Amino acid sequence: MIRPLAGMARIGLRFQLAYRSDVIMTVLALIAQVFLLRMVWTAVYGGSGQARGLTLDALLAYLSLANLQAFATTPVIPRIAHFRIRTGMVFFDLSRPTGYLSQMAAFQVGHTFGGLLMLAPAVPVVLLVGTITPTAQPLGYVATLSLGYVISVMMSLLICVIGFWTLETGAISLLYRLVSHFFAGTMVPLSFFPGALGVLAEALPFKYMGYVPAAVYVGHLSGGQVGRAVAVEVAWIAALAALLWAVWRRAHRRVVINGG
Amino acid sequence: MAEIARTLRLYWRLQRASMRGALQYRLNTVIGIATGVAYQGSGFAFVWVVMHTFPSLAGWSLKEVAFLYGLRLTAHAFYVLPFSSLFGLEFLVREGELDRVLLRPLNPLVQIIARRLGVGQLGDLLAGLVLLVIAAPPLSPAMIAFCLAAVVGGALVEASFALVLASMSLRTLNGFALWTFVDDLFSRFGSYPMSVFGGATQWVLTFVLPVAFVAYVPASVLLDKTGALNVPALVAYGSPLLGVALFALAYQVWRHQLRHYQSAGN
Repeated sequence: MIRPLAGMARIGLRFQLAYRSDVIMTVLALIAQVFLLRMVWTAVYGGSGQARGLTLDALLAYLSLANLQAFATTPVIPRIAHFRIRTGMVFFDLSRPTGYLSQMAAFQVGHTFGGLLMLAPAVPVVLLVGTITPTAQPLGYVATLSLGYVISVMMSLLICVIGFWTLETGAISLLYRLVSHFFAGTMVPLSFFPGALGVLAEALPFKYMGYVPAAVYVGHLSGGQVGRAVAVEVAWIAALAALLWAVWRRAHRRVVINGG
Repeated sequence: MAEIARTLRLYWRLQRASMRGALQYRLNTVIGIATGVAYQGSGFAFVWVVMHTFPSLAGWSLKEVAFLYGLRLTAHAFYVLPFSSLFGLEFLVREGELDRVLLRPLNPLVQIIARRLGVGQLGDLLAGLVLLVIAAPPLSPAMIAFCLAAVVGGALVEASFALVLASMSLRTLNGFALWTFVDDLFSRFGSYPMSVFGGATQWVLTFVLPVAFVAYVPASVLLDKTGALNVPALVAYGSPLLGVALFALAYQVWRHQLRHYQSAGN
């Protein structure tokens, strides 16, 4: 059970490393993005020391972290699954003795790990641009971030499975990326979202990939809030697992293999 | 003159054919446009949410930033709609397809850009025009003419960088990664008042990579903010001409590179 999954993860890792020049461009774009956010937020803060309980320094640290996290956890499997469903290669995935969903999840984990390796040289730059200092809540940060990553992988698995019905997930996954990054709070912390937008962002699970861990890191969320966030994350994981199981059972029977 | 008219006529015909081709995949087209609107919309949503809390960005109101955003997006759409086919140039070179282009009696660049209309980018145009129209200040007819010239000029600034970087692939140098990066810089930084970046960055974005001239400088003219620019007002009023000049220069580079093109085919 473990060995085939480790193999899948290794393929995911190699896949990430094979597209080195893409990753370099993405890392440069990431640095440019963090720089832009720093400039815009510094300009709007002006002289004011605090807004919505965040000092400018805490906000800049928050933004750098949230963007690093979003970059590292960007899902790749919807793209892979889309390609393999379209070409009919998904047949080989389904005929393996290991479950389809666990294969995909393992691939994603390997890919993320590769992303972290590639990201390593950029981390000091981003940390410097964002002026990040060590956190007072390392445990809370690691807990909320790892659970948030599990949620992110499960959501992307859901998109993969939807592909069995629509046979076309290219636009859906791009839309997903836009929506998830925005509601994860990679450009604006959720506490700045006005009115209904704020309520929506609070209700959606995307915040666990960006806002929640980063806000815990800079101390914007603390004490009981961290515990509550962890509990809600566990509940999300349970709900998504049930949903995935139900959807997968139906998808399995619908499989269309293209080609021949 | 007759030569130009003929070229334009043929361009229009080729473009219509490629548009018909793209519209065969109707759902794909609709999704492409919707995604474009969503992509640009989420970029503007950032500005909107930030300025909900802070009403001023370097002295610009939300409406003024929206106008700047719309101006840049519209200019960008006018560049990317025709020129997105340049992205396929590398493929044309590698497959030897370019030889066929060179044999036909029509300007090679016109043939290449007429291969495909970036239908997906219609979403950018839509989002840009909506922002531009909603946020436009009351403009005199002369200023409306300036606004149109600014859109064309801005499109040409971006197009000239695209053309130079793409033409590098005629001679085995790969300019595409650099092009993606430059394109990204134009998109990312072009929609904000440059004074936000201040000092060295603003200088670089004005005089090295002229991102400021795509929309910020002309928008300052249209919003009567030329006093805060780091260029004289006269230069600001002439800003649409920069696009024309840069594109003329880029076209010379393209021609030069094309002369030294060696076919990969046999």
